[in-house]
Amino acid sequence: MKFVPERLEVAAGDRITWTNRDFVPHSVTARAAGLESGDLGQDKSWTYVVKKPGEMAYICRLHPVMHGVLVVR
Amino acid sequence: MNWKQVLPLILVAPALALAQGKGPSDPQIAGIVVTANQIDIDAGKIAKSKSKNKEVKDFAQQMITDHNAVNQQAGALAKKLGVTPEDSETSNSLKKGAADNIASLKTLKGAQFDKAYVEHEVAYHQAVLDAIDKLLVPSAQNAELKGLIIKVRPAIATHLDHAKHIRASLGKK
Repeated sequence: MKFVPERLEVAAGDRITWTNRDFVPHSVTARAAGLESGDLGQDKSWTYVVKKPGEMAYICRLHPVMHGVLVVR
Repeated sequence: MNWKQVLPLILVAPALALAQGKGPSDPQIAGIVVTANQIDIDAGKIAKSKSKNKEVKDFAQQMITDHNAVNQQAGALAKKLGVTPEDSETSNSLKKGAADNIASLKTLKGAQFDKAYVEHEVAYHQAVLDAIDKLLVPSAQNAELKGLIIKVRPAIATHLDHAKHIRASLGKK
């Protein structure tokens, strides 16, 4: 259970899509940044357009030991 | 830690180690998988209703959701393969250990309950991981059954990390 890749570098304005390839639900959540995908079931996707440059750490709200980082250039 | 908290820890490991001498058959492995998941669902239901700690309740709900998802996959695969899950020494020991754990949890409340539940979840998921690596994967004959167990392993490892994280946070209170 992990985000692949755990660290992703993108440019401001890019569209990023997370797809849950697991059979249990997951989320993409960064409370401070207001990032919340809601619960994503198996094979469900969620897309987010990054706006501002910077580093954004996120977790799976359901499995908080899952971590990811989005680096926006 | 009193004896009631220690007891479930002792019971889990031998239950899963019992059948290591002679590998279980595929129907027995299916039975162990279904039983092991159901046990954690049942413990989760008790924790969800008894605990007042949000972190513990959320974790318990997650165990119910995730282990139900695993059992749905296991059920679908067993049906596809025409395998009927069978009881074995291991699954029976698991059931006995689970009944003892639940009986013990029912006598506790508040912080004592949370600690006992989370401590048991740590030990249980560690024991399940060990069983996956040393017993279930090496013994599984059918490739799809073996594949399912390998696919489930990361979820168990994540649950173990999550339970350890909560144990540490409870320890600070």
